[in-house]
Amino acid sequence: MKPWQEAYEKRYKAAKERGRSFFPYAVFKDALVALIVFGVLSYLAIHFGAKLEELADPTDTTYNPRPEWYFLFLFQALKAFPGSLESVAAVVLPGAAILLLIAVPFMDSGPLRHPLNRPFWTALGIFAAGGVATLTFFGLRSPLLNPTQERNPQVMAGKRLFSELNCAYCHRINGKGGKVGPDLAAVAGTRSDDWLKAHFRNPKAVSPGSVMPKLNLLPEEIDDLTAYVQSLGTGGPYSPEAPKLFAADCEVCHTMHGKGADIGPDLSHIGAARERGFIKNYIMNPANTKPDSIMPSFKGQLTGLQIEDLTRYLAHQR
Amino acid sequence: MSASNDGGPRGWLYERTGVDRVWDALFARKVPEAQGWVSWLYTLGSATLFVFVLQAVTGTLLAMNYVPSPDHAYDSVRYINTSVVMGHYLRGLHHWGASAMVVLVGLHMLRTYFMGAYKYPREGTWMIGVLLLVVVIGFGFTGYLLPWDQKAYWATMVGTNIAGQTPFIGPYLKKIFRGGPEMGAATMTRFYALHVLVLPAIVGALIMGHLFLVVWHGISEPPTRAADADAEKEPGR
Ligand code: HEM
Repeated sequence: MKPWQEAYEKRYKAAKERGRSFFPYAVFKDALVALIVFGVLSYLAIHFGAKLEELADPTDTTYNPRPEWYFLFLFQALKAFPGSLESVAAVVLPGAAILLLIAVPFMDSGPLRHPLNRPFWTALGIFAAGGVATLTFFGLRSPLLNPTQERNPQVMAGKRLFSELNCAYCHRINGKGGKVGPDLAAVAGTRSDDWLKAHFRNPKAVSPGSVMPKLNLLPEEIDDLTAYVQSLGTGGPYSPEAPKLFAADCEVCHTMHGKGADIGPDLSHIGAARERGFIKNYIMNPANTKPDSIMPSFKGQLTGLQIEDLTRYLAHQR
Repeated sequence: MSASNDGGPRGWLYERTGVDRVWDALFARKVPEAQGWVSWLYTLGSATLFVFVLQAVTGTLLAMNYVPSPDHAYDSVRYINTSVVMGHYLRGLHHWGASAMVVLVGLHMLRTYFMGAYKYPREGTWMIGVLLLVVVIGFGFTGYLLPWDQKAYWATMVGTNIAGQTPFIGPYLKKIFRGGPEMGAATMTRFYALHVLVLPAIVGALIMGHLFLVVWHGISEPPTRAADADAEKEPGR
């Protein structure tokens, strides 16, 4: 043992002699803080609870993976790396940080403990803690890659039923799924709600000779499934006016099949990436979906019919 | 024979279990006194411990109604939220407790860092602490998948993809985490086993070691410039 370590032990023993018993003095403080923490957690649990989003959907490529908030600083930091290095940095950076932390007691090993007597380590600590806090802040504020869609709860309930009832065993959606029944994306918009509902109640009643079984669904379930099926597909044909409207109002910013500007994203395949409701909401008021969008809102600028027409036109771009 | 053996039942118990001496060693020991607001910073470790125990209790109760399979996990969590007695509260506590754990571990680490509490003779306490930090993050990562909702699925997709980028061993890591090339039922049982069996065992052992060292060395005294000045006079540093 080095002399300063021996001296430390002696000094520490003296400090302990002068000190107080752990119980009840320290235990009281610990218990009080634990109680406060429990109170805060109970409040959060009761008032905010824990969210449960929609059932995992491995085919939904428009979903925004949001990491838990305490990983945000890392994702924010990774943005500073060029694409090819980013993925490597995602592993190497945290690994190096952990090793550095483990090594701290050996790199800063003298007897001096007061933060002002260890200016380098104190500054490093403030820098690191401040950096993590700042990155987390910007991570929380940064826009989502794929803006969250306002989803129609009825559509989502229908989607859940679709998977629970294993409809995909017979039906495909845009080519994915079974081949016994028709592609539902092609059905959407070509049949009325009433037809679909009658069909769900008893397929043979409206489609004689159908091999689809009668499903004994509740009325709400029939409504949900109908909403879901109608949300697929393009909503029906668009008028010859729609492409002209697009050329007049949208091509100043967007590209469509090689024509137009690149201020906004290329929309040549937007129908494959977005559902109709999303596109329509976006045209009417972009800020509702993506708060920092610079695209103007077209509600009021165009009539409701024009917006519907444009929506169908875009939904067709696959 | 213990001095407290007066022939009564209490003495009998002490003589056979030694709880009196355990009590003396853990609770009746003297600790250096910190003054004012600084003394409250010393509660952060025990607050972390408290939330950890809370996570263990709420987690056990949740596990009684949870089904770790992609077909049923989502519905069982919904069932917990809507139908289990106090289920909404329990799940809320476990959810917010996870965040509190990260916050408190972070603050506790900052307090020991800035006070130089990792210095001689407490280096081991600190190093076990860093491992605890890693395990706490591991709990968060594995627990996030379990509700099997959109957020769970896609965040884990990203997370396992990142693990796949580790130099050399990445592809194997990814396969081990996912239990195969794709995410699915195997991923879920794997994460569940890690979350409720492997990590609790590791964290239990680490916490025991951490606390043993805290008691063994005694909690560090608040640093002062006077004490540092004294230490500087020692030869041979
Ligand atoms: C599950 C996580 C953890 C638990 C339950 C825990 C618990 C505790 C408790 C109860 C103490 C007693 C004194 C105090 O509260 O400050 C303590 C001390 C200590 N902890 Fe932790 N801790 C955890 C994580 C960490 C981490 C992440 C670090 C640092 C990387 C760390 C480093 C230390 C050190 C150096 C001490 C000694 C402090 C002193 O003697 O002044 N701990 N810990």
